[in-house]
Amino acid sequence: MNMSKIVRSAANLLFPFILVFGFYIVLHGHLTPGGGFQGGAVIATGFVLMFVAYSYDFITGRIGAESLHTTETIGLVLFIVTALVAIVFGVTFFTNWMLDVGPVLNNPVAFGPNPGDLNTAGFIPVMNLAVGIEVLGALSVIVLYMLSGTKEEI
Amino acid sequence: MIELVVHAAVLVGLICAALLVIHFRDLLSAAIAFGIFSFLLSLEFYILQAPDVAIAEAGIGAGLTTAIFIVAIRGTRRMEEVKE
Amino acid sequence: MKNLVIGATVLILSLGILYAGVGLEFGAPPFTDMDDYFVSHGQEQTGGNNIVTDIVFDFRGFDTLGEATVLFTAVLGAGLAFRKRREDEDYEYE
Repeated sequence: MNMSKIVRSAANLLFPFILVFGFYIVLHGHLTPGGGFQGGAVIATGFVLMFVAYSYDFITGRIGAESLHTTETIGLVLFIVTALVAIVFGVTFFTNWMLDVGPVLNNPVAFGPNPGDLNTAGFIPVMNLAVGIEVLGALSVIVLYMLSGTKEEI
Repeated sequence: MIELVVHAAVLVGLICAALLVIHFRDLLSAAIAFGIFSFLLSLEFYILQAPDVAIAEAGIGAGLTTAIFIVAIRGTRRMEEVKE
Repeated sequence: MKNLVIGATVLILSLGILYAGVGLEFGAPPFTDMDDYFVSHGQEQTGGNNIVTDIVFDFRGFDTLGEATVLFTAVLGAGLAFRKRREDEDYEYE
């Protein structure tokens, strides 16, 4: 059952802006308030807005539960693999190994308030991205499963 | 002074939204009132200087919980149709 | 009589909650050693400006791993509860 045309038009209009805001929160997680979980929840809100506005058949014709589940699994695997790579460099599990290796994401940060540089903080941005896409897939697929459980009235 | 007025307005709005949730007979109206309650709660978190919690509350409380309620209400019938 | 008892209970409960809310001191934890360490060393040790994210992903990484596990388990439970069975699938209810 599609909702009314007003709801569908508003959802279409809001969807890209919600995605941009969510990815901004995820990618700037180590500089501004927010982080992986909050950004992923905001992106999932955008997806769930589309799920509520359109019918179940319309949604599953475009994005399936399998692909959302795969997104969640990719995020979780990226999270654990990034934490495990620390063992290769001779430090313990979950150590911030990117601070010791290479120039990537490794600029020094002055203590106190500063303008902020995206290329800092070791593996924290990678972890933010991993948790972000994991939360995005998990929360979306939960609502999609719940939508599949209700009876469709046409 | 203006901060105190805004804070008091948000708190009064929270209580009004919470009373509206139990006052409405229509399920969809109650769900939307609950969404307004969650939004005002996230504003309150922001005023209390917890922006991380405010973003999480706005995403999960105001967005996902309301959507889950609406998905559940989709499986029911409107009150007026049952009476006839 | 019944209304009186209910009214007195509500009055006592609301007074107690009001007293607890007024009596609590907001933003003054009794032990601040850990907080002071995180605020003064977190930025130089992890390199991130947002102390909350530094704590969540670096100092307290195992907590985040547990949270991710909880979310994955929640998705598995929702998938099991709401899964649509195919027509040709045999399933006996107990």
